Amino acid sequence: MTTQTSLSTFLLAGPEITLVIAALVIFLWGAFGGLRQGWLVALAGIAAAACWPGLALVPGELVASGPLSIDAFAAFIRGMVLAAGAGLCLVQAGDHFRSAVTHGPVRRDASTCEEAGTFLLLLAGLSLVASANDLVLLLAGLELVSIPTYILLALKRTDARGQEASIKYFFLSLVASALFLYGMACLYGIGGSTSLAEIGARLRSPDARISDTATVLLPVALGMVLAGAAFRLAAVPMHFYAPDVYEGTGPANAALLSTLPKVAGVVVLLRLLSLGTGGTLGMMALNQGVAGPAAAAWLTFFWQTLAVLAALTMTVGNLMALMQTNLRRLLACSSIAHAGYLLVGVAAAAAADATLAGRPFPSPDTAWTGALGGTTATLFYLATYITATIGVFAAITYLGHRWPEWTSGPAPQPPRQEVTSVDDLDGLSSTNPVAAFSLAVFLLSLAGIPPLPGFWGKLSLAMAALEVDWTARATPGSRRVIFLSLAVVLVLNAAIAAAYYLRIVAAMYFRSTKRGVQADGGIGAGVAMLAALGLVALFTIQPRPLLSASSRAGESISAPHALLATPQASTTP
Amino acid sequence: MNPFSPSGRLLLVIVTPLVGAVVAWLLGSRGTGAVRQSAAVTTVITLLGTGWLMLSYLASPEAAAGEPYAVSEAAWLVDGPFNVRLSLGLDGLSLWLFGLSALLSLTAVMVSWQAIEEKPVGFYVLLLVLEAAMLGVFAARDVILFYVFFEFTLVPLFFLIGIWGHDDRRHAAVKFFLYTLAGSVLAFLGLLTIVLWNASHAGQLTFDIAALTAGMAAHPLPMSAQGGWLQMWVFLALFAGFAVKVPIVPFHTWLPLAHVEAPTGASVDLAGVLLKIGIYGFLRFSLPMLPDATAVAAPWIFGLGVVGILYGALVALAQTDLKRLIAYSSVSHMGYCVMGLFALEPVAVEGATLQLINHGLSAAGLFALVGMIYERYHTRSIANLGGIASRAPWLTVMFMVFTFSSIGLPGLNGFVGEFMVLLGSFQRAWSGVAPLWRTGYLTMAVAAVAGVVLGAWYMLWAVERVFFGPSREPPRDHGHTANSHGTSDDTRSAHGHASQHGHASEAAPPTDDLRWYEWVALAPLAVFVFWIGLVPATFLRPSADAVRKASGPSARAFAARMQEIAHPTGAAATADSLTARVPRQP
Repeated sequence: MTTQTSLSTFLLAGPEITLVIAALVIFLWGAFGGLRQGWLVALAGIAAAACWPGLALVPGELVASGPLSIDAFAAFIRGMVLAAGAGLCLVQAGDHFRSAVTHGPVRRDASTCEEAGTFLLLLAGLSLVASANDLVLLLAGLELVSIPTYILLALKRTDARGQEASIKYFFLSLVASALFLYGMACLYGIGGSTSLAEIGARLRSPDARISDTATVLLPVALGMVLAGAAFRLAAVPMHFYAPDVYEGTGPANAALLSTLPKVAGVVVLLRLLSLGTGGTLGMMALNQGVAGPAAAAWLTFFWQTLAVLAALTMTVGNLMALMQTNLRRLLACSSIAHAGYLLVGVAAAAAADATLAGRPFPSPDTAWTGALGGTTATLFYLATYITATIGVFAAITYLGHRWPEWTSGPAPQPPRQEVTSVDDLDGLSSTNPVAAFSLAVFLLSLAGIPPLPGFWGKLSLAMAALEVDWTARATPGSRRVIFLSLAVVLVLNAAIAAAYYLRIVAAMYFRSTKRGVQADGGIGAGVAMLAALGLVALFTIQPRPLLSASSRAGESISAPHALLATPQASTTP
Repeated sequence: MNPFSPSGRLLLVIVTPLVGAVVAWLLGSRGTGAVRQSAAVTTVITLLGTGWLMLSYLASPEAAAGEPYAVSEAAWLVDGPFNVRLSLGLDGLSLWLFGLSALLSLTAVMVSWQAIEEKPVGFYVLLLVLEAAMLGVFAARDVILFYVFFEFTLVPLFFLIGIWGHDDRRHAAVKFFLYTLAGSVLAFLGLLTIVLWNASHAGQLTFDIAALTAGMAAHPLPMSAQGGWLQMWVFLALFAGFAVKVPIVPFHTWLPLAHVEAPTGASVDLAGVLLKIGIYGFLRFSLPMLPDATAVAAPWIFGLGVVGILYGALVALAQTDLKRLIAYSSVSHMGYCVMGLFALEPVAVEGATLQLINHGLSAAGLFALVGMIYERYHTRSIANLGGIASRAPWLTVMFMVFTFSSIGLPGLNGFVGEFMVLLGSFQRAWSGVAPLWRTGYLTMAVAAVAGVVLGAWYMLWAVERVFFGPSREPPRDHGHTANSHGTSDDTRSAHGHASQHGHASEAAPPTDDLRWYEWVALAPLAVFVFWIGLVPATFLRPSADAVRKASGPSARAFAARMQEIAHPTGAAATADSLTARVPRQP
């Protein structure tokens, strides 16, 4: 595949370019034209990007040009990023509280243009990550996600905790990026090219020389890359920043941090995972014989590390969350736990692919590998998680501040108190029934209570984990037993998680309060909350379209499960 | 789909409570009266629809052939081979429990008539949603759909207990939810494992319960060291979910708390229907799909059932709170169901399924009556009550009816169920186990009989203290409105309705006796208490085949295991003689 940058490359990157142009318009108009409605223009920019014709992709088609390749996976992620972006845009527009201790009237319009433009750049970067077919572009995309995040964190909150949060995030993110870059250098050493397709082809080739290099470099490359991705996912061991940063920043930024970087992390992991399999096309082209030993080693190392990290991340996140009383800290811990669930899916995908790599394909014992690949499950879960999470933070943003305790006499007006702790939600069901109901639905969905979308997500993850090596014998320490235990850890964690989600629900419904909340977080956040509620209802009643979309996306970069179910499986050497 | 075809009607019956919930919500601004009336109308319509459906089931050719009835299918979560379907239908196993859910929902609404004054809209909406979920559990023919309903029942009940419960309601609601959830997520994994095992052998993924049952008979899960004891693990996973739900004794701690704190309406549904889902789950999944593991575990669970009977009875004996006493009596009576089910003797299993209905009727009735007593006197403490019989004779009569039903007076329903369970257990002990085990089984069966005596003791003792003897209730305090769970405006309502229904004479002073809505709540239950007690065959026959079919694989596996223990060497030759004994009539 010759890859040359040409006009068609720019056409492929149309949505991203649209986003960047919209960002520039907002910056300039805001600085020189006195634009005050930056977020509205940002929404228009997102809508324009979503209308780009390249988004509609024929299933199974792969369009590659230069460093970009748009397959079903990239299209899916792009769609998800734009949808989440629109939601976050509304939430961010609502979050006009400069600081937790602001007195007096709020400066509503100030610096919204900078924020809105920066946010669009972030979306463009994330979208690029999804379609990058080249290490350099991948890194550029990731940095285009990170740098706007620093700016947003720093712009939103100017008090001490906000600054602490942004500095903390800034330094740790730099470390993670550096590690990731080092991993990429190793990958370049293995593949001799920056193109992901070429590196993948080298990995999968049966050439012994490559596998020699790979044995030395692979663990290093993978370890570094995983560290970089773990930071974005907020997975163990790079999870510890999350509670502090979420607490220090505002709810809208917390919404951003708990969704978009996780998308980036999952995309990076799945893209790198697909180096070992080459996706549907790679498999079909390559696996007539035996896959390369380096690819098998790559996948094996991948799933082994991720399985351990997944179990740790879920458990650590949930146990931490059990002890929190601050709402944003609690949600930060819960987002760590959800990163763990996502990793279960990625690990299952890697393990299922490892079963296929390194042995004749197709072969009788892979005749039935399962209905849902780990990749599909991960993407499906990611979508349900993002919907519910944006909903939760939109609701919290919308609720804004509590009413002050009125005092008689000429006492000074008490400081405005943000909704920060679980106790602040006491009695919400009587003061703000709609917000309380939405929040309860989102939290129960995150807890995985059927029939809400979170349950469908956990169902698909558990299926994916149980499917691994399904036909093999269950001997202690075998891949199958490991994934069986991982599924057990997953569902037990879901039960633990229900404890703290229920605590919030119980506060809203079972307690009463004398001071309600003001619900002054802005109409945008309210709209985002209702939109998320609508999406949750939609996925509850009919999760099928989302599942088919994620399954198409998953199949385009993972081992082709559907292919294996065909009768040709019996024609083996 | 034709709405009057059986499948259309089944769908309508399940959807009606949801529609009713929306109607009740819309009527919220019209006040409590409109809301509760709409809820009552909804439950009555659902009950009538259910009755029609059940009658047409009994007359249908499917019932005679043992086929599922009123089957409907629709795609839900479908992608390639992965297909979760909205698949509904009734069969012999689910028939009576389905009817019981509809019946008790009416009771639940009626006992809340005066008791719920705070946020009535939310209460009745949740009660109706709970009804739809309960009906759905028993009608589901798809594993995932079953699980969705199974777990979704927790959500409305969580709110019902947590918002309208008594003093310690928050703790009770959360404990109930988490305890049950922790068990059921493991059951969920077990069910998925069954699905995947079947898929890897049948070559096709299916979530259909009937297909899975057939598939597990054709390719059982491995029950050997070589196969990793997978069948046992799956059995234990399912056990975790269903045992908490029943509850089988070491897992019962959530139950007394949840019952005592729950509002009466929720108690009725909880005791009457939700506990049954556990036994139903065993009968639907564990016994037919995992026979070898069931055969190994059966003696232990049988023993746990007996422990539950005795433990529940002894703890009930020590209670000073009437509702807590009934709650522990539930633990004790569910022990009979567990014992009968895991005796794996056809008579006992049939008795256990009948006992599910019996306990549903009597426990729901007793909880309803305790709620009525609490509404009148604002206490449930046995020591503070006394001599109610002189002031509320009909209430006392009803309480006696359900008490006698609960302790198994011949002629009432409880007797039939307990008798069949004990008979089957003795049969199992005498002739169905290896000689070495006979003593153990006999001891357990005899202990269970002792449980019957204990049951009569604590119930009758409580009746004596509460209803007879000197009048001892706290002074009637009409200004007592601080407690939101029932203000004592019974005077007004007794007057208002006495003339229409004639349960109290016109000129009589305000009595404490049953009011019309309380009659509506209790009378249908009492009718069935007598009906089942006098003509049990009406209720046993339609489900007998299905129950035998469901427990058959496990009974055969158990017989084979006993044979092996008795004759370790030549097992194969003689195993058939014991196996052939299984479908025997008492």
